[in-house]
Amino acid sequence: MFSLPALLYLSALLFSIGIYGVLARRNILVVLMSLELMLNAVNIALVGFGRVHALSTTSGEHGGQIFTLMVLAVAAAEAAIGLSLLLLIWRRWKTIDLRELCRLSG
Amino acid sequence: MSGWLEHLVFGILATVSVLSSFLVVTRKNPIYSALFLVVMFAMVAGIFMLLDATFLGFMQLLVYAGAIMVLYLFVIMLINPRDETLPDEGGTSEKAFAAGVSLLVFALLTFGISNSDLVTEMTTPGGIPALAEVPATHGAIEAFGYELFSKHLLVFEVASILILVGIIGAVHIAMKQRPASADEDDSNEERLVTDV
Repeated sequence: MFSLPALLYLSALLFSIGIYGVLARRNILVVLMSLELMLNAVNIALVGFGRVHALSTTSGEHGGQIFTLMVLAVAAAEAAIGLSLLLLIWRRWKTIDLRELCRLSG
Repeated sequence: MSGWLEHLVFGILATVSVLSSFLVVTRKNPIYSALFLVVMFAMVAGIFMLLDATFLGFMQLLVYAGAIMVLYLFVIMLINPRDETLPDEGGTSEKAFAAGVSLLVFALLTFGISNSDLVTEMTTPGGIPALAEVPATHGAIEAFGYELFSKHLLVFEVASILILVGIIGAVHIAMKQRPASADEDDSNEERLVTDV
């Protein structure tokens, strides 16, 4: 069924898969990809809500879509910064294993 | 597009996106994860287009499947992970903990969605209504652009500054660090850099 709850359930499912990826994996690259996955899940919910909200307005405004555009910009900036940090970690310690970086905790 | 075809297309897009995102988090080699992530982004773009968010669908393809994935693949190529350098993934207890937390989050979200008065109120029988039932300007790229540059101009400006900061930050972080005790070659290189 293509309805608002179906979209929200899909969004929740993708978000939980992203949480599993962030918690279970030790590869920083895959953890960053899981973050992108979670942002995408939120985008689906935002666009779905915006589409249904447009029904009750007279001008058919695009609030949800504009919020999604903002999330897209945040995701792009996050990917750039995260990957450059990953490169720096690789250059210094020759590892992409998160558990080997626990020396940061002292 | 209306009726059963819309439901069918949504079902296919949702199934493929869930399957490929599951493969993203379970593949050991990050190259396979990246390729399945492209599939997932394309499916989400399809869902956006189904929701009459044409511009966002194209942006999703351009920004995510185009730009961000190229960035990921470049980093994977630079690091060139081989099987012996890939980190050992955690044992079953670690995976069980992660699966438990994600199932808990999913259960809470599902409970919230199915019990929300707002969602019930917003749900229309027979699925998301066709474009003809919403105001005609919704979904048109012209109307979207007009609204973005008039009513939500601040959002646009903040997003552009955010991306600018992101680019400068990424370049600064990933720049070659100069060693503290520079030998002959490095000091030459340093002088060249300061000259430029």
